[in-house]
This record gives sequence, C-alpha cells and structure tokens, in this order.
Amino acid sequence: MNNHKDPQKTAPPKWADDFLQWFCSEELLEEIQGDLVEAYHERAAEYGRSTANRLFIKDVLLFFKPYAFEKYSDAKQFLPMFDNYLKIAIRNILHRKGLTTINLLGLSVGISAVLLISFYLNYELTYDQSFPENEQIYRLMNDYRVQTYTNMRFRDYYNSSREVQQILPRKLKQYDEVKHVCQFITSQSDIGGGDSYYLEFEDQQFVLENALFTNTGKGFQELFPQTFILGTPSQAFGDWQKIVLTEKIAELCFGPTWRQQDIIGKQLTLADETYELGGVIAEMPGNTHFNFDFIVHRAEIPSWGAYIYLKLKPEGAIRSVLTKLNAEIDQIFPGYTEDELSKGVRSISLTDIHFTGGNLYELKEVVNLNYLYTFGLIALLILGTIWINYANLSVAMYADRQKEMAMRKVLGARAKDISFQLLMEAMLLSILCFPISWVLLWTLIPYLNELMSIELAPSIMLQWRSNVVLLSLLLIIGFASGIYPAILFSRKPTITLFGKRASTVPIHRRVNLKDVLLTTQFVIVVGLLSITLFIYQQMEYVRTKDLGFQTEGVMYFGLNGQEKYQQIRTQLMKLPETQSVGANSVPGSEMFNQLTYKMKDTDYVYSDGTYLEMDYGALKTLGIDCDACHLLDEGKDQVFIINQTAAEKLAKVKGGSIYELIGETLISEPEWENEEFGYGIPYNIEGIIDDYKFFSLKYPNQPLLMTVYRESPWVYVVLVKAKTDHWPTTISSIKKAYLEVESELPFTYTFLDDHMDELYKRERRSGILLGTLSFVVIVLALIGLGGIVSYIATSREKEIGIRKVLGASVSDILYRLNKRFFILMGMATALALPVSILLSLRWLENFAYHIDPNPWWVLSTGIASCLIVVIIVTLQGWKAAHKHPIETLRTD
Amino acid sequence: MKGLGYLEETILLLVMIMEGEVYGYAVSKAYEEHMDKSISISAVHAVLSRLEKKGFISSYMGGATEERGGRKKRIFQATDEGRKVIADIKASRLKLWNLLPSLK
Repeated sequence: MNNHKDPQKTAPPKWADDFLQWFCSEELLEEIQGDLVEAYHERAAEYGRSTANRLFIKDVLLFFKPYAFEKYSDAKQFLPMFDNYLKIAIRNILHRKGLTTINLLGLSVGISAVLLISFYLNYELTYDQSFPENEQIYRLMNDYRVQTYTNMRFRDYYNSSREVQQILPRKLKQYDEVKHVCQFITSQSDIGGGDSYYLEFEDQQFVLENALFTNTGKGFQELFPQTFILGTPSQAFGDWQKIVLTEKIAELCFGPTWRQQDIIGKQLTLADETYELGGVIAEMPGNTHFNFDFIVHRAEIPSWGAYIYLKLKPEGAIRSVLTKLNAEIDQIFPGYTEDELSKGVRSISLTDIHFTGGNLYELKEVVNLNYLYTFGLIALLILGTIWINYANLSVAMYADRQKEMAMRKVLGARAKDISFQLLMEAMLLSILCFPISWVLLWTLIPYLNELMSIELAPSIMLQWRSNVVLLSLLLIIGFASGIYPAILFSRKPTITLFGKRASTVPIHRRVNLKDVLLTTQFVIVVGLLSITLFIYQQMEYVRTKDLGFQTEGVMYFGLNGQEKYQQIRTQLMKLPETQSVGANSVPGSEMFNQLTYKMKDTDYVYSDGTYLEMDYGALKTLGIDCDACHLLDEGKDQVFIINQTAAEKLAKVKGGSIYELIGETLISEPEWENEEFGYGIPYNIEGIIDDYKFFSLKYPNQPLLMTVYRESPWVYVVLVKAKTDHWPTTISSIKKAYLEVESELPFTYTFLDDHMDELYKRERRSGILLGTLSFVVIVLALIGLGGIVSYIATSREKEIGIRKVLGASVSDILYRLNKRFFILMGMATALALPVSILLSLRWLENFAYHIDPNPWWVLSTGIASCLIVVIIVTLQGWKAAHKHPIETLRTD
Repeated sequence: MKGLGYLEETILLLVMIMEGEVYGYAVSKAYEEHMDKSISISAVHAVLSRLEKKGFISSYMGGATEERGGRKKRIFQATDEGRKVIADIKASRLKLWNLLPSLK
C-alpha cells in the first residue's frame, strides 16, 4: 500500500481504510481503494473534511458485500462460499440438537445475568445524575461533636419563625458564587418525624406517607427540576400553602381521569391546614437520594432543621463559599464559634451523597461501593465462565470436523477461509442467543427490582443502547470462543487433520489450557459457594443472636403527646391479650447523635455516649431487667442508669469495680457552660443494667446513659407487648384504641422483629443476589463440564476398548476417567480456600458481631462439588465404558 | 441473449459516451451529472463487473495518479458485443416508440 504524501491532513479515516483492506479481495482492492481515495480528496476540497470522512465511511460500508470479497480469486470456483458456510453452520447446529440447546441456554442465561448486574450497577452509579448540572450542586453538612449531620439546624430549632428559617438560605444567596439555594425535609427522614398524613378534600380522606416540606420552592425547582403535567412551577411555588402531588398520588385521589379534570386550585386539607393544589408532577427517577409522594410549599418547615442545597455558578468554587460562610457563621447561629462542640460547616457534592456513609440522618440508605465492585467482579467471573464453557464446548464440537476442514483445505480453502468459516459459525450461535436473552431480561427485571428494591423500568430493554450492549457482548463471546478452533484448524498442516482424531486431545500432557480453564472454573464455583454460605450463616447469626431484649410479640407505633399516651395505655391494658405498654426508645436503631460524659472529679471525658429516655413500661415490654427500677415502684419519678459498657469505661478512669459507681455523680456534656449547674448536667448513677443491643449488630456495644421515668414527660412512640395468638384482632383492637385518641395522623405500626430484620436488609439482599448469581455460575460450569467429559469419553473410546480387552473392568475405567477431575477439583478447593476466607472476612468486618468463617465449610463445599463432578463424569463415561470393545476397535 | 437491466444499460451507455479514462469513480460522477441522481461508488463497481462478466465491456489496469494515493485505475471500454447490444436495444425501442400514437 502506498501512503499519500501528507497522510496526517488529508487521509481518510484509518479504521475504515483498514476495514476495507481487510475484507476486500486483493484483486479488487487497488481499484476500489483508488476510487474511494480519489473521491475523498475531491469531496474534502469541495465540502470539507468531515463530510468527506462521513461519505468515505459510508462508501466503505456499502462495499461490504459478497461482491467485493473474493470475486476475482482463481480458487473461487472450488471455494464453498458464504451461503455454503451458512448452510453447513445451520446443519451442524441442527445435527447436535442437545449440545446446541445446552450451549444456547448456558450462554443466554449467563449473558442475561451479566447484563442484569450491569443494569443494577448503572442504576446505582448514576444516582442523582438525572438532575441537570449536578456537578455544581452541593449540600451543606454540620460537624458537631465527633459526628457529621447531613442537615443544618435552624437558629432556634423547633421554635424558629418563618423569617429565622430563611436566614441561612438568604445569606447563601448573597454570595457571588451561588446561583440558587433551597432547603427541605421529607417526612420519612430522621428529622421529619416519620409520620403519615391524612389528605382530605370534599369529604374524602387518603393516607399519604412521604411529604416533602419546603419553604424555598423556587430554588427547589431550579436545583431539582420537576416535570409539571398539570399546573406550572410559578403556580405551585409562587405562594405559601400550596401542594404539589406526584402522578401516582393524583391518580389515587382523583381517579384515573385526573388529567382531564380541572383540579388545579382545588382546596385540600392536610393535618388541619388548608392548601391549594398547585400542580401535578411526574415521578422522579428512583435513583435519587431523596423521594417523596407530594410537596408541601409552606412558610415554615415543621422540624428543627432542614437539608440545605446550593447550586453554584459554573465558575464558582464551593471552597470559597464555605470559607466565607464559616467566617460569618456567628451572624446566622449566634455563639457558634464559641461553642467548642460545633466544628464548622462543610459540604458534600450531590453525586457523592449516595456513596458516603457514616453521616447522621442521611435521607436515603447509602450504598457501599465495595458491594458494587463485588458485583462487577462477579459479572466478570460469569463472563469468564461462559467464555471458558463456550470455548471448551466448541473445541469439542470441532474436533469431529477435522476431516471436513481437511477436505476444504485440499479443495483450495486457505487458512483465512477456514478461520472465517469457524468464526462465523461461533458468532451465528451467539447471535441466536439474542432473542432468548432479550426475553429473559424482560422477564427478570421486575424480580431484580423487587430483590434490590430499585426502580428499573423493563422498558430499558427497548432502548437501543441496551440492545447494542447485549448484541456486542454476545458477539464478543462468540468471537472469543471461536478464535481458538479457528486458529487451531487453519494453521494445522492438512495431512495431520486427516489423521487420528485424538491428535487434538491434549489429555496426555501434564498441563494444558483446558485443565487450567476447568480449574479456574472450579475455583470460582467453590469460592462463590463458600462465600454465599458464610453470608447466609452471618444473616442467621444476626437473626438468632441474643440481643439482650425480647422482640417476640412486640409492636410499636408513633403517637405524640403524654396525655394521649396515658389514655391509650389505659385502653390497651384493658385488653386481655396485652401484656405491657411502654413509651419511647425503640431498639434496633442506626447510630444517632452522641454526647460527651465523665465522672465528677475526674478529668477524662468520653465522647461516645448515647442518651436514652423511656418509661419503665418500655423496659418491661422489652423484658430488660433493671434492679434500680424498683425505686420507681416505690414512688420515685425517675432513675438514672447506665449500661455495663459505660460502667466499665467509667470504672477504668475512676478505679475500683463497676458497682462502686452506684451513687456517684456523672456529668454529661461537661464542656457546656450553663447557669443551673455550672458545667454540664450532673446525674446520680442509680443502677447498672446488662448490655443490650440497642443499635444494629454492625456496631459494638455503645455506652448508654438512660433516664427511666415512671411517667414519661414526653412521648413519641408507643411499644406494646401482647399475646401472639390472635394478632389480626389484637391489631384491630389497638387501632381502635389509637383512633379514639388520635384523629390527625393515621395509624401505622411495625413489629419489632420485622424492624430488627430491616436493619440488615441491604446485606440480606446482596446475599440473595450473590447466591442467585453463584447458582448461575455453578449451573454454567456444570454444563461446560458435562460437555467436556462427554467429549473426552468419546475421544478415548479406543483406549477404553483396548483396556477392556486387556482385562480392565468398568469400574477401573470410570476410576481412570474420574481421577484427573478429582485432582483438578482438589487443586481448585485448595486455591479457593484462602480466597473465600479472606473475602468473607472483609465483608464480615461490616459487623461488630460476626461469625468466624470456618475453613471446613470451604472444604465441605469442595467435597460436595467433587461429588457432583464424579456423578457427571460417571454418567457421561458410563456409555463409553460399557461399549463393546469390538465396536470401537474394528474401525480403521 | 444475455439480458441487460436498467442500471446496466445506463452505465453501459455512459461508458460509451464518456471521453477520457473510464473508471469506477469517473462513471459514478458522470452518472450523477447526466442522470441528476446520486449513486454509490460500490453500486457502480458492482454493475461494471457484471457488465464485464457478460462481455459487454472489457478492462485493463491503467495509470496511477497522485490523488489516488498512487493506485492504479481499472479502465473500461465497451466491446463490440456491448455496442451491438446497445444498438439492438435502441432499434427495438425505436420500433416501439414509433408505434406510440402520441406522447401526451
């Protein structure tokens, strides 16, 4: 090929040119390439380079047809052409129906699993990226004590007036860098109260769960634009007391014809306040870090703080905003800098929120990136397994076709033609998988959604991008597994192909590619199985571990106010099935704000205390023993107790045993200067209780400082323990009692053991997904193994025949067949052992309380897999071992 | 007798009409110029090779030029058989044209 003198400037796209050279027959290449290059230069001169490039590519692609392939070749009369290849390929596929079906199914299932994982990963990794210019959006976070709050507080907490709530947003808007600001809470968030609401209009009443309260509607629309189906943003956020419903809620309230109705401007009542309907919006995508059912635009946010976001101008830097804000922070929160506990305001960028754990009150559960990497790795493992399978099976399949290849070579087929034919066959088979995988994916996406609790629309399969990915994956697998036989057969001298079939069986060599591939597969199988097993064991462990309190028959529901509580308690205690009723501090919590504490007259200050308040009924309901609580029965109003962990820490500083602490004084928040006590708040330690797992088992025992009341002065949640014999009637009796005392908020309850399970739902889901995927890998590997063994058994028929003639029994032969696989399995188990133990330990580190992965389980998995392998080998080898030697030996 | 498709007929005519070197790209340009329709280079190549196979045109490898990156052209010319088939077509068409009462 001659290069043009200035290829940099005026050469046509190189890849297209190379492609042309690749497929075009040599005889035609010169004239075609010449014409195209000539046309290219003319067009470049006339229309410019990009048009010329485009037309060149188009022309090359138009040439890609049989005409240009081998027209003038001298050998063409003898060469079976394109259509012949196709015919042979189809015949072969039909000829081996069993093998083809196994191959097709295996490939389809495997590829579908890989694609499902990539959909899931894509969903998680593109969190919050649907918001425009998301890289310029940040949320403010407050460092307080040793923890980071994902929300900002209002200056006067719950008592902040509407003007006070706007101080921080207004301040931020004054900065040059800032374009828009908004703040909101969602009612299901940790600072939103978690209540449900009644929405009423025209005598109808609906229970709605997740409200988003904002007093900066315009900013909200700028940062997180909502698509209005009815109404406009200015109608919705132009004034206070407006409600915006999502489609789903609009349909619930106004029926399926809500689009046709004139509902904008309707008066709705929410928690005894009147609002005007300002619009109906489309659902947000599921992968956003907050969600809601309806927006309430209101002058005051009903909480002690809000999540506050800002969008910067493109040239603005968040660092300078924070510097300015922290310098002026006292204007917003008087006394902020003097307060030793306040450590400053920081920011998190919108797209990092979903991946950043360890902060307080995050709106939605965050995701552990390590889990995502693990799933990505498993997708690769599955791809590897499929490829290994497919390559192994095709080597086996093509081994019988040596003579066909030899014939073709004799008739003039060149190495290139043989490779082309074999590659085409491999890729044809993989293309056949396309419809199967497509249907599988379409069916499985809803299950994936349910399992991982995500919202992936099955219509993702109608997007061209998903289909291109699916098809290219299939083609790559087809190509990668066809390339080995293609090269093998095309390179081999013709005469050896006519020879004995066994020549391609490298069974006598010490190490060969097939063994390496098989061992790798088994390592994957044993490793995944063991890890799944350890995850299952850990999940069982957290489910059955003694938490130090009882969950059996305990349920709880939200209720605000001491009077209502006293009324409902009286009502509930009248029910024969009720055993006890209590208020506040439901265990099974994620971490929340911690405080500092120390013993009086010592200097060492701990900063990891958790302060709890509850009534005696709550302790009784949970079945927690409290010696000091008899004081309450004797007429004391409240007792202060600490748990054993706290006692041990304090005793270490104080010296002496933990029981000597009883009667001593503990100071909480000793750095807080106040008029009443000087520094901190003193508590007289009246008792020590055994540790109980107030927090998730992911965390070690925390020091608990608890005030137990005879009659709690404030109530937000009610715990009930009842006999479990007739739960439905018990629940409805409780509901009846609830509705008598509370008319504003709907009744929603949770069973304590369900709540405890919720704590580990992400781990459990990941475990189930991993288990399912391991199952896919195992089935794929076994399919591949079956193919290999049947191939080996048939290709060793003659050897088996001779052995039988020389006196070997069937069991001797089966032993010989099994031996090799046994060794491979043993090696695989040995390799999988450390890997799976290490990976499991990494995962188990997420839990303060966890099982110790026992290596024996890995060995057992290895042995179990071994048994399955033996069964498969024996079944496949049975036929070969039972064949009469005369049948196998008389040929040739 | 070998048949001749519409496109083949047009291209064959162009080969006979054109002055200078007749090769793939030149024919495609001539086609676009005379017929006011665009055609891809590959279509022209395919038709030319079909015509050659049918024996209506013959070819030899001609000179290389700078703008082709030094590659040779395949130069086509009509064979006697080609001229004859065109003349036949013209005669038979004319006969039919003449039978047409009026063309309105």
